[in-house]
Amino acid sequence: MSDLMARMGELCASGTPGDSLVALGLGSCIGLVLLDRRKGVAGLAHIVLPAAEGHNKELNPLKFADKAVPELIRQVTALGGRKPMFEAILVGGASMFAGAGSTLEVGVRNAAAVKEALAKERIRIHAEDTGGTKGRTVRVDPITGIVTVRKAGSKDEQLYPAVPKTSSHSRVLQEVA
Amino acid sequence: MSASYNEVQLDALRELANIGAGTASTALSEMLGRSIDLAVPDVSVLPMADAVDQLGPAEQDITGIMLGVEGELPGTVLMLLTPENAEKICVMLGLEADSELAPSALGEIGNVVGTSYLNALAGMTGIAVEPTPPTTVTDMLGAIVESILAVRAASSDRTLLLDSSLIVEGEDCSIVFLLVPDHGGAEELLDRIGLA
Repeated sequence: MSDLMARMGELCASGTPGDSLVALGLGSCIGLVLLDRRKGVAGLAHIVLPAAEGHNKELNPLKFADKAVPELIRQVTALGGRKPMFEAILVGGASMFAGAGSTLEVGVRNAAAVKEALAKERIRIHAEDTGGTKGRTVRVDPITGIVTVRKAGSKDEQLYPAVPKTSSHSRVLQEVA
Repeated sequence: MSASYNEVQLDALRELANIGAGTASTALSEMLGRSIDLAVPDVSVLPMADAVDQLGPAEQDITGIMLGVEGELPGTVLMLLTPENAEKICVMLGLEADSELAPSALGEIGNVVGTSYLNALAGMTGIAVEPTPPTTVTDMLGAIVESILAVRAASSDRTLLLDSSLIVEGEDCSIVFLLVPDHGGAEELLDRIGLA
């Protein structure tokens, strides 16, 4: 049982029972999850900026969306994941300092860049919790494919697979039956 | 293009941070009417991911007061304090703990303290700086810090942190004061004191 951390500009992948993939306190960064749920493998990238182009070549490429996405695909595939089965989930991209200029833009641009990189690879986004002004922590269980998100000041909530709304209506029906 | 500094340069930056924080603590002391202790400042050059870890647990709730710095030392001033300490500061200012005015009162503290720090640096080095208005948020430590670092991640994998603690005497209340220069900002400082 171990938590594999994806810190700024890092990524991790696992198919080991008991592992969790975790990105703590995402602000303007994006936590990108790739799942192959049938195989029970997953990867998580902590993406900081949209595109490597125009930046110094010596910088860590994995902090850029356009470089991190192919590398994450490679790592999850190496664990037995099948690209056509990949499901993508996006978390983060907040504007922590609403109205304070440049940080405002980064979150939005990051989300757009990750989506573009995924589209290029023909990977569909199945769930998303992005934007807003709150920091988020994302946790992934590679075996079950369950993705939970915690926003600052709240509890963990399951983002994917979508939790069926247990409406009071259906419960009443069960009780009657 | 990773920022790297030698020991003499780091010592000089530490001394600048010390004088800046000394001036800032005097300003804070005047606002709160309390004595302020100053811990020895820390100057470090770290990979960005480590910089987040160094400041505390990434998921910890923290109140951050942020000022942008424009001019010849572009960067960010960030003051971090626990929400409990933010309340204590508000009470010292004569506000109710949960007052609607708390964020703007904290912003004003940040403004005065941050500006005194920057003015002290400017006075010593002759650089011109212009702080932008403060923004106050309470959120996860990691989310606040990484959002500030992300903007400069385009030019470096590492960041320079000038880190001081202001401690309100007898109140068990401290504020972490950070200056995060943009890439090139610290070079400008060192250049002005003849150590570039």
